[in-house]
Amino acid sequence: MLKKMLIAATMLFATSSVFAELVVVVNPANANTLDSKTVQRIFLGKDKKFADGNESIAVNQSAETQIRQDFDEAVLGRSSSQVSAYWSKLVFTGKGIPPKEVGSDAEVIDLVSKNPSVIGYINRASVTDAVKIVEM
Amino acid sequence: MIKLNKNLSVIAVAVLATFQAQADIRINGFANLTGGITSSDDSLYGYDDSVSFGSQSLFAVQVSGDINDKTTATGQLVARGSNDYSAEFEWAYITYETSDNTSLSAGRLRLPLFRYSASLDVGYSYHWVVAPQSVYAVPYNNIDGVRFDYTGYTGDLEYTFQLTAGNVESEFTLAGSEAKLSVDNVIALTGDFAYNNWKFRGVYATGKATFDIPALEPALAQLGQLSPNLREQLQANADTGIFYGGSIEYDAFDWFVAAEYTGVEIEDSFYPDEINYYVTAGIRTGKWTPFITYEKSDLNDGPKFLSEISSLPAAFQPGATQLVVGIQQPAVAEETTVSVGVRYDLDTNLALKADVVKRTNDIGENEDSLLRFAVNYVF
Repeated sequence: MLKKMLIAATMLFATSSVFAELVVVVNPANANTLDSKTVQRIFLGKDKKFADGNESIAVNQSAETQIRQDFDEAVLGRSSSQVSAYWSKLVFTGKGIPPKEVGSDAEVIDLVSKNPSVIGYINRASVTDAVKIVEM
Repeated sequence: MIKLNKNLSVIAVAVLATFQAQADIRINGFANLTGGITSSDDSLYGYDDSVSFGSQSLFAVQVSGDINDKTTATGQLVARGSNDYSAEFEWAYITYETSDNTSLSAGRLRLPLFRYSASLDVGYSYHWVVAPQSVYAVPYNNIDGVRFDYTGYTGDLEYTFQLTAGNVESEFTLAGSEAKLSVDNVIALTGDFAYNNWKFRGVYATGKATFDIPALEPALAQLGQLSPNLREQLQANADTGIFYGGSIEYDAFDWFVAAEYTGVEIEDSFYPDEINYYVTAGIRTGKWTPFITYEKSDLNDGPKFLSEISSLPAAFQPGATQLVVGIQQPAVAEETTVSVGVRYDLDTNLALKADVVKRTNDIGENEDSLLRFAVNYVF
């Protein structure tokens, strides 16, 4: 129990510094210039293609993670609950399917590196050569 | 307009066949458990002065599958407490993406008359315990037909246009008695616009409305003996009805305010001209969203056709007046509703809500008060 609390406390502490370190990443072969508005549109299912006409596939981190909450607030500009309410409107009218969720930065990197269509977000510290950071 | 009722069953079968044939099937669902209790001897929305859950609770499962890259089949099975939780396919339709920003849907689908039409049953999607009944409680929310959707954006302005056509078959209660409504040749055009924090919406729809109300038949028959012409005017038998509405919303994320207005007119019928609206506002503070809503529903525009009575023989006039007014009476109503409540986001798929509703009957001057609490879940 105490150990769990320590971990939780550490995570909580780490979060504040991690917040600014969130980066949006794409496949290195993706040459599109992306601004925060475009990223927002892709993650809200409003855009399904990049500017060059190629399909865009957003990958989310799971709802329980801090990075997801940070992303929802910093990039999408709403709380995770509001984003969830937004998707519930689209899902139940057949107008959209929320981005697939994965559980870690490593999984995001894996998906992005294998498919030029995929766009995700990870901690800056996790970035590898397999992905390209989107400067927004 | 082609009658699409028969075709619906074909689509339902096609939808089911798709689910069996496809591995990639999405199953989503939502549930609203809504309990309520009124002040002693009051009654509102089916709740009375002992706690009950039935009248505004529902459970639903939606299954959708991709037939191919561009075609999706969707079926939504809903069990409503007001219908003894017996599950029915309220929606079953196929959507074909005709291009990146246009799509065509056919089958039984939601008629997009309101701001929250599409997710009206998904309590999780809005702040209210239940969407304002003064505006949203209409017996024509679903349509058998086709809908064409067009979405796009220029700069920061996002827009969606929807053109829906088909027919509506429905049952409802008028002043305590069972009635049937069918609206044929429905055409509805809606436009939705979003610009930064603003949202605007407009809708205009027409159709040929027929009311089948057994309780009104004897009076109509009597009136027919005095004046076949007046009977014809009061009866809603394939008579043109129009529906119009608009809404405006400003959402600053930390707070929001919204208003919606709708009107219904079936000129050549007993049905009074109807005006409904609400104004709502709320504050989002962490997981809490306290809100307030003011609603008005006005079907109290004075009896129609009184001037026509003067052309009848004087001896017929008192009887005819009584019948003409009497036939229009069951639909006459004027109500003001105020509710104050709060939403609490327990999780990203679970919200708890509570509100207090006070509805005033502006004609009879009596009031009904209701306390509601709800659990809204989506998966």
